[in-house]
Amino acid sequence: MKSEKNTLYIKGGRNTEVTAPDVTLGDILSMECTDKLMLAKLRTRRILRFPKKKKGRRVLSVLEIISCIHEEFPDLDVRNLGETDMLITYEEQKTPPRIWHLIKTAFAAAAVFFGAAFSIMAFNNDVDVTKLFGQIYELATGYESGGFTVLEVSYSVGVAAGILIFFNHFGKKRFTVDPTPMEVQMRLYENDIQTTLVENADRKGEEIDVDP
Amino acid sequence: MWIREILLAIAGLSAGVAVAGGLFSFIVELGVIADFADRTHTGDKVCFYEDCAALGGILGNLVTVFHTGIPAGLPGLAVFGIFTGIFVGCWAMALAEILNVFPVFMRRARITRYLSLFIVCLAAGKGLGACLFFFRGW
Repeated sequence: MKSEKNTLYIKGGRNTEVTAPDVTLGDILSMECTDKLMLAKLRTRRILRFPKKKKGRRVLSVLEIISCIHEEFPDLDVRNLGETDMLITYEEQKTPPRIWHLIKTAFAAAAVFFGAAFSIMAFNNDVDVTKLFGQIYELATGYESGGFTVLEVSYSVGVAAGILIFFNHFGKKRFTVDPTPMEVQMRLYENDIQTTLVENADRKGEEIDVDP
Repeated sequence: MWIREILLAIAGLSAGVAVAGGLFSFIVELGVIADFADRTHTGDKVCFYEDCAALGGILGNLVTVFHTGIPAGLPGLAVFGIFTGIFVGCWAMALAEILNVFPVFMRRARITRYLSLFIVCLAAGKGLGACLFFFRGW
């Protein structure tokens, strides 16, 4: 009687992408239990099914998963160590042609490149760097600036250094082991999107839960 | 004499670093580049986009500070125009988004539907404004 009752530990990620329309527990959860046979059986248990040939996204409550497990093993003690609401995205793995990916990357790269160039040009123009440098040069040396002085050169070096220090890498070479600001921003953005999707589904009552 | 040059060099260097840090953290924190990467589903290429932003910043700065010419001609100008337009458009919207302009107005006016219509109107208004600005020579 003492340790007859098994405990199942489950851990699911926040956002899982599946490529088959039939989603099994093993697809979306990592599970641990002393009873390996039961584990194998649970892994192949289907939890939901997407309509075929259509992209889909559902929000799944962990309660639904637990009730699904209890249907199979009513006495099992289930402990959730992961997320309580999970996004399941079904997308047929038709890898788009590589060339399309390249075109998109080139497009975004061009926008970023010209945009960054334009921003710094607009800034320099806006604050009238040329005039300001002339004034500073005259203040410091007493001579009139010819427009190409040590100030302009060092400013340009400074801008280049500042950008590279800020982004923390150039090409493959990283200056420290920290993630770059863009990587951080990308993750934040994804997090926001996932939170929005989960809360949207919750508000519309579209979440798959035990008592709707 | 050389001490003044050195002082100027230090001043220029610090000014450059400060400007670069400020401007680029502004761009990154607004999430313009992250938006591009997300829309085109090329999130794995963010490091490359960072390189592009760095290169664009460095070259753009050189062009304005030293007034160097770029022999790119009209087609080059058109390419420059369209991509800077896209970037600035995204930037303006990202700024409005980060300042929570839309949620506040939507909530005050109790608008819950036809959100996409408002977005289209917004884009059309911005485009019209830009056209007016250039055609009237304001």
